[in-house]
Amino acid sequence: MGRYVIRRLLQMIPVFVGATLLIFLMVNVMGDPIAGLCGERACDPATAARLKAEFGLDQPVWKQYLTYMGNVLTGDFGTAFNGQKVTELMATAFPVTIRLTLVAIVFEIVIGIVLGVVTGMRRGRPVDTGVLVATLVVISVPTFVTGLLLQLLLGVKWGWINPSVSSDATFGELIVPGLVLASVSLAYVTRLTRTSIAENRRSDYVRTAVAKGLPRRRVVSRHLLRNSLIPVVTFIGTDVGALMGGAIVTERIFNIHGVGYQLYQGILRQNTQTVVGFVTVLVLVFLAANLIVDLLYAVLDPRIRYA
Amino acid sequence: MPEPRPNTDPGELDGGRSDDGAGPEDGAVAGTGFGGSMDLAADEGRTLERDPEHDGAEPAGRPRSLWSDAWRDLRRNPVFVVSALLILFLVLISVWPTLLTSGDPLDCDLAKAQQGSQPGHPFGFNAQGCDVYTRTVYGARTSVTVGVCATLGVALLGSVLGGLAGFFSGIWDALLSRLTDVFFAIPVVLGGLVLLSVVTSNTVWPVIGFMVLLGWPQISRIARGSVITARQHDYVQAARALGASSPRMLLRHIAPNAVAPVIVVATIALGTYIALEATLSFLGVGLRPPTVSWGIDISSASPYIRNAPHMLLWPAGALAITVLAFIMLGDAVRDALDPKLR
Amino acid sequence: MLLEVRDLRVEFTTREGVAKAVNGVSYEVAEGETLAVLGESGSGKSVTAQAIMGILDVPPGRITGGEILFQGRDLLRLKEEERRGIRGAEMAMIFQDALSSLNPVLTVGDQLGEMFVVHRGMSKKDARARAVELMDRVRIPAAAQRVRDYPHQFSGGMRQRIMIAMALALRPALIIADEPTTALDVTVQAQVMDLLAELQREYRMGLILITHDLGVVADVADRIAVMYAGRIVETAPVHDLYKAPAHPYTRGLLDSIPRLDHKGRELYAIKGLPPSLTAVPPGCPFHPRCPMAQDVCRTDVPPLYAVEPGGAAGLATGEGRGSACHFWRDCLEGTGSR
Repeated sequence: MGRYVIRRLLQMIPVFVGATLLIFLMVNVMGDPIAGLCGERACDPATAARLKAEFGLDQPVWKQYLTYMGNVLTGDFGTAFNGQKVTELMATAFPVTIRLTLVAIVFEIVIGIVLGVVTGMRRGRPVDTGVLVATLVVISVPTFVTGLLLQLLLGVKWGWINPSVSSDATFGELIVPGLVLASVSLAYVTRLTRTSIAENRRSDYVRTAVAKGLPRRRVVSRHLLRNSLIPVVTFIGTDVGALMGGAIVTERIFNIHGVGYQLYQGILRQNTQTVVGFVTVLVLVFLAANLIVDLLYAVLDPRIRYA
Repeated sequence: MPEPRPNTDPGELDGGRSDDGAGPEDGAVAGTGFGGSMDLAADEGRTLERDPEHDGAEPAGRPRSLWSDAWRDLRRNPVFVVSALLILFLVLISVWPTLLTSGDPLDCDLAKAQQGSQPGHPFGFNAQGCDVYTRTVYGARTSVTVGVCATLGVALLGSVLGGLAGFFSGIWDALLSRLTDVFFAIPVVLGGLVLLSVVTSNTVWPVIGFMVLLGWPQISRIARGSVITARQHDYVQAARALGASSPRMLLRHIAPNAVAPVIVVATIALGTYIALEATLSFLGVGLRPPTVSWGIDISSASPYIRNAPHMLLWPAGALAITVLAFIMLGDAVRDALDPKLR
Repeated sequence: MLLEVRDLRVEFTTREGVAKAVNGVSYEVAEGETLAVLGESGSGKSVTAQAIMGILDVPPGRITGGEILFQGRDLLRLKEEERRGIRGAEMAMIFQDALSSLNPVLTVGDQLGEMFVVHRGMSKKDARARAVELMDRVRIPAAAQRVRDYPHQFSGGMRQRIMIAMALALRPALIIADEPTTALDVTVQAQVMDLLAELQREYRMGLILITHDLGVVADVADRIAVMYAGRIVETAPVHDLYKAPAHPYTRGLLDSIPRLDHKGRELYAIKGLPPSLTAVPPGCPFHPRCPMAQDVCRTDVPPLYAVEPGGAAGLATGEGRGSACHFWRDCLEGTGSR
């Protein structure tokens, strides 16, 4: 077990370096990092040179990357375009996005799994077909359209919610944005649970459980669910990273000042340190989520042994 | 006593044996960074990697191939027929938009801005006073072009790289696996924002290029998996034992069996690429005017959603139906190719 | 009589049409008796057992007729809740593939103890103690430690012993064993079969042994029922049947067993394949493969004839033998051409 974790952590290093380097290169090579620093006007050559020297931008890219990562490892993520420290931006942005992600995950678990179990147990019946079509529709309608429509209906037409989220971004305000963020994954969790339940329902060990004379409720809860939810839990775990990175669209629609908002601002203003800093943290979250899921797998399925 | 071949005893066909000890994926990361719909595609592919040979329910008789079987199923599947017809229609109007409209999507009259439906202009006008109907029809061309080109690129690059890695394994396989991990770790919308925010071209090519760049690892992982599965088949082992050359084995024995999951995933992915293009355009980094795109139109209509929702709903509806058509098509093909679910 | 199955009919709705998986099957099992049900896959032997246990997949399966009398009660008329009380407690089933039939994510102790918790209302702790006893009873070494292990940590033979222990847990009156040794190594097969036979004798349980392996049958069974295409084609006390089969199908099965004294001779094989259950041939279902088939076999379905000696009276008491072959006399005398 311990050796497995260490091996996995070692495997993550190249992925981490690769992903951050890729983003670093994208931002640096494609854009002009100091273009945003002189306000609306273009910088005059003298200032540009001075700024470049100041930020170490006259160095080769690989050296810049190493310097940057060295700073990151000591906790220095640099400064954003408005002079604020990137770490300060993170301190305000991450709690908001984490709350949003939590709401989304709760939706995935509660609605997705319930719908999946219901349809998996009634495969081929009207309820199954209905939900299946609904999940396809949800998957097909892009998140930003779902978001805009819900905002229009719930926020503008019926006035149930505030169309834009305040800077506090409380859980209550995040319910609808969380649902929007979760929507596609939610549909997927439903389908995954459904397939898994339907497959396991015909399995030999469920037949054994029935032959043992167990009550139906016990067959389902103790034998069927436990096995069927293994892939679902795995998916939801890995989805955490994807949700946090995918919150850009949702945050933009509902005007939520979270990670996506800061990233968007950072990209618009071509602020390397903001973008790379946030992406670095997101990649870390993604990798951690993956590791946890793998370890969780061993807890849920005793057949898995890590060597 | 000879143990007879499996026959039509439903009671004895029920052994849905669970694959034992299906371990976590061999890599630093398991999921995809594409979000749910991409995971959908990936998973549809994974179920297909399992051996699709045992149909069992056929009495002794003429042998049937997986493909002819699937085709027979598909023709009778209303979901497939409807989505295939829809896609045909979309392709038709992408090539000849003038079949449906005589207008010009760039011919706008500010005086008519935001007006609703009126004779000759069933969908009304947008904020610049352009005819929404004409723009919606012309938008299909962009979406289909982006979707088809990106999918072709992704499928080609991904299946070649993944197939070779799966076939030759060893160091190349390990390298490729790590590389796909790197790409999976970057959220796709984020990657799009970063890469495309600095592009000034207003053609569809940067967007397509970006999708190929970030999309290939998904197909490559599927292709690698199905090649590895196919490689373990007895007849492939037999061919190897008989001294078949590597290219011959790959092309003749392995590729035909590994291609089904790639096709399914690519079809579903096509739908998601169309949605991704619209999303990027919505965020302002995808396509740019004067290119006519549903994403751009939705984006430019969103500030006016209170007063003139029609400007948003028509292109959004067209977009949703298009994506739905491709996803349903992929779904139907997957069902047809996966005998286990019959 | 412990169990009487009378004219049982089960159908399955499949893509190819309606399959009559069980087509008028009758058999009896007395207390302490072992009935071997013999047949190829698709003969309906497993489906009959599932119908008795009440674990048929409905749909696609459907019981369309007949009755199943267990200790005098017609199971098919009981409410589901009453049947559930019987399942596991009064009749139990052992499946072929213990690895897939045991829940992979629960310890064997949990799965064994569950019987006591659910049917006897025991506490988890008591149930665990009983589970250890059971594992001891089926001779699993170090039961007290291994009770916390998961199914995949056991060998195939040990897993099948756990299945047996689970079936025996509540001392049922009837055990149905569906190919209990087929998935095991040959060396282990005999051990497991011996254990099952020993426990059955000790507890005086009725045993229905479903198998396609004639070799297993000879040692342990009292009676044999041979099934083909959803029907019973021959039923007889085991030694009578081995001595002189009264149905050409049974004869074919016996002849296809490799025997040392036939060394060098070509092994006999029944030609052709079993029919698809959606398209059973008219007349005797075996006629396309039968070396003795005459015109009458292609048109008339043979009833289960009472075979002499014993005759109709013997068949009715479950002592005699029956054969669903128009020419059972020829077959019995071995005069039928091959």
